[in-house]
Amino acid sequence: MIGLETNRRSSRILLWIALAVVLVAYGFPFLYLTLTSFKTPLDAIAVPPTILPSEWTLENYVTALSKDGVIPALINSVVTAVVSTGFSLVLAVPAAYAITRYRTVPGQVFVVAALVTRMVPTIAVGAPLVETMRTLGISDTSFALAIAHTTISLPLSIWLMASFFEAVPDELEEAAKVDGASRLGALWRVVLPVVSGGLAVTAIFAFLASWNEFLFALLLTSVRAQTTPIVIANFQTQFGLDWGGMTALAAIYSIPVILLTLALQRHIVAGLTLGAVKG
Amino acid sequence: MRTSDRRFALWLMAPAAAFLAAFVLWPLVRFVSNSFFDISPMAGGPREFVGFDNFAEALGSPAFQGASARTLLYTVIVVSLEFAFGLAIALIFASLGERSAVFRTLFMYPLMIAPVVAGLLWRFLLIDNFGIVNELLQNAGILNQASDIGWLSDPDIALFSVALPDVWLTTSFITLVLFAGLQNVPGDIIEAAKLDGARFHTLLFRIIIPLLRPVIAVALIIRGIDAARAFDIILIQTNGGPQESTTTLSLLIYRTMTRYGDPGLASAMGTMYLIAMLIVASFAIYAIWRPGSDK
Repeated sequence: MIGLETNRRSSRILLWIALAVVLVAYGFPFLYLTLTSFKTPLDAIAVPPTILPSEWTLENYVTALSKDGVIPALINSVVTAVVSTGFSLVLAVPAAYAITRYRTVPGQVFVVAALVTRMVPTIAVGAPLVETMRTLGISDTSFALAIAHTTISLPLSIWLMASFFEAVPDELEEAAKVDGASRLGALWRVVLPVVSGGLAVTAIFAFLASWNEFLFALLLTSVRAQTTPIVIANFQTQFGLDWGGMTALAAIYSIPVILLTLALQRHIVAGLTLGAVKG
Repeated sequence: MRTSDRRFALWLMAPAAAFLAAFVLWPLVRFVSNSFFDISPMAGGPREFVGFDNFAEALGSPAFQGASARTLLYTVIVVSLEFAFGLAIALIFASLGERSAVFRTLFMYPLMIAPVVAGLLWRFLLIDNFGIVNELLQNAGILNQASDIGWLSDPDIALFSVALPDVWLTTSFITLVLFAGLQNVPGDIIEAAKLDGARFHTLLFRIIIPLLRPVIAVALIIRGIDAARAFDIILIQTNGGPQESTTTLSLLIYRTMTRYGDPGLASAMGTMYLIAMLIVASFAIYAIWRPGSDK
């Protein structure tokens, strides 16, 4: 881009300084959380607080992980997020493909309806779902929570996958069909491999939507299927104010997904902005 | 289009449509219909049709009025701060060009963090006695005593303080979307304006913002909807207090539903909240975005 990029040395230096300030301010909260997780539990709530630990220790990690229900909650989080991502992809891929390849009226209505679900307050769906899950006999299971989480990620996945399918030229399927592939075969063997990057992005967003979700988990689980965000929130009541343990569990829960997504960052940026900018 | 293609398309959409109908539309219908009943909180308890009584009770209650006003204020605080910071940072990135690519990535990291973690983290940063923010402000000479500002304990400013983690968490989203939009602003228009001697604010308000209008609209609408629905990030910081000063609609509805055990009243509140969201969002889409009008 030529337009906005500045060539004056003095303004470039000022901009780099401004950027450095922004990055430090933006990075500090999480850095402080991580540093605190390595302090001793008493050091974590010392007055006045210090930035660096006076003594580096893994004590908080040991307490956090050995608390009742923490490990099962981590497992539940993984299972729920994986199942929900699976649901999301299986349902969204064919729907998004139909919407972009066959521009039918029901397809357009469907896209708008899916977007409207984004405006629905979670509690308006979550409260009645409690009863639905009870009727289906799957109360307090990861499966039920995964279904609830899919109501959030499915509209997003359809929206993202539709943007990716739009970038695939029609000729590709035409050629496949001339070679004798069925419509479904063309989608499965020719189109899907081309959008595999887009599939990965969609999967990550669906995974994150479930991984970080709180209110559905609060309403739909009690003990067996409880996910980690609920356990983290309970650190303050159930066990008193254990800030040290809380920071350790928060770090355990956040750092893997941060690293994973930063590693895949180029795809993510594309996924985040594609829909919005095209609109 | 051939009929068989049309039928094929419908078959492909059917599973997703059935899923959304069963797990979003149907619960929603039940939620809205509950708002016309007086319901015992016990499962399988008695329900009695009461017409619009729940709506009248909600509209007349100071708790609902207060929570509505706070939801609106919270949304305005979050969206305007995010837009101001997000645009400024997007402009910095755009002015630095490709050299800023690595930093753009790093800047994105809060988007991956759970709101519940962000809320607890900021509560920890802002806490009265051992919070690092007040300590740093005191060291910088801005505060006399570290306990001078009770970010989350002073009812006058608590609503602003609980909004901070939300701003921290998702300004990156606005920046990313606006940055992508800036890539599509034709460079020669900016060059021409610069040659004509346009100052920065003219450039910003006369050229960049108008050209970005559709992108800005999408970003603000998405963030506005999410901010208006904020729940866990507030719950975890203040649980609605002090003195109800951070009780937004989502918290009030949740509490009315579970703790006060009045699902009918909670459903009436939620139904009005849902209708308000739909109206505001459609208006925003129509007024700011104006689909098609720029083409």
